[in-house]
Amino acid sequence: MPPVTRWQRVRDLFEAALDAEPRDPVAWLDAQGENDAEIRDEVASLLDHHSRAGAFLVEPVADRVPHLLEEDSGGEPLRAGATIGPYAIIREVGRGGMGRVYLATDTRLGRTVALKAIAPHLLRDPSQRERLRREGRAAASLTHPGICTVYALEEIDGDLYIATEFVDGHTLREQIESGRRPRPEELLGTARELAAALASAHGKGIVHRDLKPENIMRTSDGRLKILDFGLAQAYGAGDPPRVTRTGFLVGTPAYMAPEQFHHHVAVDARADVFAYGVVMYEYACGTHPVRATSPLSAPRPIGDVIARCIREAPAERFASAVEIVVALGQSSAEESPHTTWWRIHHFAVVGLYLAASILSWRIKEWIETPITVSLFLALGTAATVGGVLRGHLVFTERMNRALLAHERRRTARATLMVDLLIGAILFVDGVIIGSMKALPAVLALSLALGIVLAALVLEPATTRAAFGDWHDRD
Amino acid sequence: MTDQSKSDSGSIDADALAPLVYDELRRLAAAYMRRERPGQTLQATALVHEAYMRLAGAGTPWHDKRHFIGIAARSMRQILVERARARGALKRWAGLNRVTISDSLAIAAEPDMMLPALDEALERLEQIDAEQARIVELRFFAGLSIEETADAIGLSPATVKRRWALARAWLHRELTGGR
Repeated sequence: MPPVTRWQRVRDLFEAALDAEPRDPVAWLDAQGENDAEIRDEVASLLDHHSRAGAFLVEPVADRVPHLLEEDSGGEPLRAGATIGPYAIIREVGRGGMGRVYLATDTRLGRTVALKAIAPHLLRDPSQRERLRREGRAAASLTHPGICTVYALEEIDGDLYIATEFVDGHTLREQIESGRRPRPEELLGTARELAAALASAHGKGIVHRDLKPENIMRTSDGRLKILDFGLAQAYGAGDPPRVTRTGFLVGTPAYMAPEQFHHHVAVDARADVFAYGVVMYEYACGTHPVRATSPLSAPRPIGDVIARCIREAPAERFASAVEIVVALGQSSAEESPHTTWWRIHHFAVVGLYLAASILSWRIKEWIETPITVSLFLALGTAATVGGVLRGHLVFTERMNRALLAHERRRTARATLMVDLLIGAILFVDGVIIGSMKALPAVLALSLALGIVLAALVLEPATTRAAFGDWHDRD
Repeated sequence: MTDQSKSDSGSIDADALAPLVYDELRRLAAAYMRRERPGQTLQATALVHEAYMRLAGAGTPWHDKRHFIGIAARSMRQILVERARARGALKRWAGLNRVTISDSLAIAAEPDMMLPALDEALERLEQIDAEQARIVELRFFAGLSIEETADAIGLSPATVKRRWALARAWLHRELTGGR
């Protein structure tokens, strides 16, 4: 007889006995017509234990979960004043899935850092340790002001520590839970700031994978910073979520994209896009989209962007945060009136290039020497390059506003060089023609002065007025 | 077997999801610990329900609450046994055989001491009758009432009550090492 069936007979007899509540179980069992003595003995034994079990298992152990989880973050906490290699611990500032986080001083440089002690149970597997190292390096390559900078990955006495910039402020979670909802312009500002920081990482092929309000800080001077960038990847760069024996898992379910729940799907930037959508949704209206009872009412660009971020199918979302930046920039209704002046400035400078080219051509016609011909050719080339660069900027501003800051930074040095070169060429031209014709000479010299001054004084002024910054930002 | 296996055969991979539930429970419990007030106790069922609230919904595969609760109960068992093991409870725990009936209150006071041994016994019970093991997980590890357990497992409360009694008797015998 197969054991399962035997067990079923034991079970049925036992349950029948429970219902019958016999005073003498042995006699009762004998009267049940069960021929198999082993089964009878088994039931008798179980009934005996049933009567002796008392409160055994009655009190759910689960009510002691927190008590058992107390030391979950791994290891004994470090005390204030303790030193770990070059780091002097000031105090514990938090506890997360990866371990404890301390405020500490790097005594070599005298700077304050956040020191994350990776929980030992995450390091048992050597490949995981190696992965953490690799991802620590990747995270360290991110230098955007909206991303918490990784300073160092330290291995001290076999333990792993990650020293990062210490971000003082409060998390977006705290902001959401404070109950105060952001004003529309505040919402747009936060959406852009967060998208820009995320985009800078996506541009380098680095995915956060655990973006959530707890990981986003608003610093005391009002800037937004994403924490723990790339570290979540340490558990499976490019792989689907991975689980260690102890059950550590990448990502926080409430912010995870549907595809992150599946074994076979590789996760990319679109998972971050999903998390971004959920975070912004929650920030905008205070509720997680899952629990929302009414559709999100957010100002035009944001509402559409969020809705597209949290589509179930990755292909329907933005491909990466770079696209979110573009979408938020494009649909922006508000535009600084100074942007017009900035545009006029660029057109005017291109006009000056044209005037300079014509003048240089005339000068070459008047005094045709190898020098004036070369000067004209050089000026023509420089003016063409300058014109293209400025045209590109104006075009970017109109069509692809989100990338403008980046493009301005990229071209700033080149346009300055072009302008100075044109100024210098005109100056030489002016000196050459000066011996022959006074008026063109004066014109050349003043045009040279005008172009140089426009580049050094006017352009920073119009740019700052239009965008609030000159290329002094990283 | 039970409706656990039915759910498993669906499009969602239960093995892939269990760690999510596990992780969420740990997070919630840890978050609870940080704001714990003296005199308050965390109800495991509340924990499971909060985890469900956080995980269920749009885009996530938690449409079947029964399925979720089953996974949550198992995760709870995993968490608790693991923590108890980490504390070296196995070494300290002398076994139920030194304990008389009147000492069962003492067991209730320090249940984590016996968790590793209970876990192993539960694995054996699972071999014989997986449904019983599930009932133990739901009742003892997730703290569900008879009615809630009956609902989660798709049996009548009366049946669950009898099965639960059998499972307790069986485990009691295993842990006392007797016959």
